[in-house]
Amino acid sequence: MEQSNTNQLVKTLQWLWMCVFILLVGGIIIWISHLIYAAWWLGDVPSASIGISLVAMPIFVVLLSVVLYVFWGLAVRGRGQ
Amino acid sequence: MALWGMVIDLDRCTGCQACVMACKAENNVPAVGVDQAKRGRIISWMQVLTESDEQNPENKMRFVPRPCLQCDDPPCTKVCPVYATYRNPEGIVGQIYGRCIGCRFCMAACPYNAKYFNWYTYQKEKPGQNPDVSLRPKGVVEKCTFCHHRLQKARAQALAENRQFDPREYVPACAESCPAQAIVFGDLSDPGSEVARLAQSPRAFKLLEELGTKPKVIYLTEGEGGG
Amino acid sequence: MVETGDVHEEILFRPIEQTGRGFYWTVAVLSVFILWGVVAYVTQYYWGLGVTGLNEPVSWGFYVTNFVFFIGISHAGTLISAILRLSKAEWRRPITRMAEVITVMVIFIGAGQILIDLGQPDRMLNVLRWGRYQSPLLWDATSISAYMSASLTYLYLPMIPDIAILRDRPGGKRKLLYSVLALGWTGTEQQHRVLNRAIAVMGVLVIPIAVSVHSVVSFVFSMTLQPMWHSTIFGPYFVVGAIFSGIAGLIVAMIVFRKAYGLEYYLKPIHFRYLGQLLLIMSLFWFYFTFSEYLTGYYGAEPEEMKVFWSKFDGTFAVFFWGMVLCNLVIPLACLARLAQHTVVKVLAASISVIVGMWLERFIIVVPSLSSPRLPFPPTTYWPTWVECGETAGSFALFALFYVLFTKFFPIISIWEIREGREVGIKEVEERVLSYLPGEVEGQS
Repeated sequence: MEQSNTNQLVKTLQWLWMCVFILLVGGIIIWISHLIYAAWWLGDVPSASIGISLVAMPIFVVLLSVVLYVFWGLAVRGRGQ
Repeated sequence: MALWGMVIDLDRCTGCQACVMACKAENNVPAVGVDQAKRGRIISWMQVLTESDEQNPENKMRFVPRPCLQCDDPPCTKVCPVYATYRNPEGIVGQIYGRCIGCRFCMAACPYNAKYFNWYTYQKEKPGQNPDVSLRPKGVVEKCTFCHHRLQKARAQALAENRQFDPREYVPACAESCPAQAIVFGDLSDPGSEVARLAQSPRAFKLLEELGTKPKVIYLTEGEGGG
Repeated sequence: MVETGDVHEEILFRPIEQTGRGFYWTVAVLSVFILWGVVAYVTQYYWGLGVTGLNEPVSWGFYVTNFVFFIGISHAGTLISAILRLSKAEWRRPITRMAEVITVMVIFIGAGQILIDLGQPDRMLNVLRWGRYQSPLLWDATSISAYMSASLTYLYLPMIPDIAILRDRPGGKRKLLYSVLALGWTGTEQQHRVLNRAIAVMGVLVIPIAVSVHSVVSFVFSMTLQPMWHSTIFGPYFVVGAIFSGIAGLIVAMIVFRKAYGLEYYLKPIHFRYLGQLLLIMSLFWFYFTFSEYLTGYYGAEPEEMKVFWSKFDGTFAVFFWGMVLCNLVIPLACLARLAQHTVVKVLAASISVIVGMWLERFIIVVPSLSSPRLPFPPTTYWPTWVECGETAGSFALFALFYVLFTKFFPIISIWEIREGREVGIKEVEERVLSYLPGEVEGQS
């Protein structure tokens, strides 16, 4: 009984851990988009924002995907066989 | 749309620094004190640089009043991370004290060193200050604004009196105070203005022109080419 | 599939399970320096940046130097960990964890330096709300965020099997922490495949991010028009310098923890020998870039650039400039030319020298260009105050503290990778070498 309680706690914390990471990296992606919008709205060299985000966004997206892939592969699908 | 610019005749400048004092009084530029001045922290939006003459180094000095040159391609605005310094459509490079985070990148980027930093809270409210110009807190950058508040005031005045705004009503403190009338100010885009005419003079040159900053303060060299 | 490991492995668990007096003394000493740094910063926050030695025109000094320096050290992790992993170099196994930890910890310290340098730090969120991507500082913010998240991930993923080992230790503490972080690792085939794939992708991803980070830091200088800053060589120059200082930092950390935790069984002279050789190569590389930079400036003889050049060569900054050359080229060459004997001592001496030399190099880049403005201003000097020295000391101490605290929670040497090296590595290498030797290729006549 106690074992499954701890297991439940561990699982919840792991999901929480993943959510924190998603919020962090997702937040950065949203921030970059906000800066593109601000530059376009102010007419302040939007090309710089678009250029940088073309490089930066894919990196963050790949990073997010890798971490989610590991989380899925280890904690969700491949759990303790 | 006006393009505000300035012509400074080096043949007329006597190095009296009336422009420096007028600017400080007009813009509430703080006096930082002797200790701070010794440490190299004087704030002087208009500064008179001295250069010894190349042919005659012992005897001749050249005085170069250097306000912010209000470049048309300003290196400072490019590097500001928060849009605290920007070039407005009339050519004046402004500074938003409330936005500035004090990273001093613009100071590092300006080739004319026209930007100054408030290393301490140098300025507190005192009687006798110009109410049209805000006081700067510590940790922000400030610089010459071509007395932009005077432009706003003149425009507001014209609006209140229901008439057209005359560009000749707007003169920065330095131009107004120069006893030798070495500083001429006006609208560079108006071909009939004094400043536009002088800017075309064969004696005209720009400081560090080769850097491509396109400054709007144009200097007239002494004599007919180096006299 | 739980392995018991041999008796030597116990030494890798000791820092986590036992805390000796040495640890408390270390923390006490570090705390003194951190306290100095905190007092320095509080003073600066209250009074303003005037408490530093900065002035007009030298408006950037120690803080920006430290920023570039610490971000440079962070390249330790990427080079050793990612490149050696990708090139399947087996000697990396005991080193990768230490390198990755340096990267993660020092990035926070480095990014913090810029925040300390701000005149209005309570407005730092303005960068998020009104950031302008035309400014190199925003490129910095983006690439450092990318590097922070990527290197954190690249540290965490290979740690998962080790965390699982800690979780399964009989009578171990912090079970909950390890259970959560281990993400249900049990070492199955499928889990290994997932993890290895992810680590491989991260290894490839982290390298261009690392290159971009220090290039972008260099762009803060090279995108301005200042003499001896506006140089196209800065991007590669800074990256080479970063890798150089990073390896030196890694070697020092390795030697310190080898002594403190008794890791001689794992960190053998051969590892230091290889790292020493890498350090030597980077020293020559660094010198090549420095030489090109200064020769170009000298040959072109542009008057404003020459003012800065001579101030470095035999002017105000000559001591720092030649000290830099001594520390970055002469001493490493002398120490690292023959590494067969006294390897560890020589490599340690060279690394400490390089760390000092690379800090001097950052200083020599930042301050002299600002000291000699183009227009005829009266000359000024820059002297750091106790605030800047305290902040520097506090930053080093804080980094060391973070590092030491990490070793108290997680093993500083990757246990599962060492085991993997023993079980799988030797065979793999043998097969690889056989494939290089002349012989019939399958599927061809």
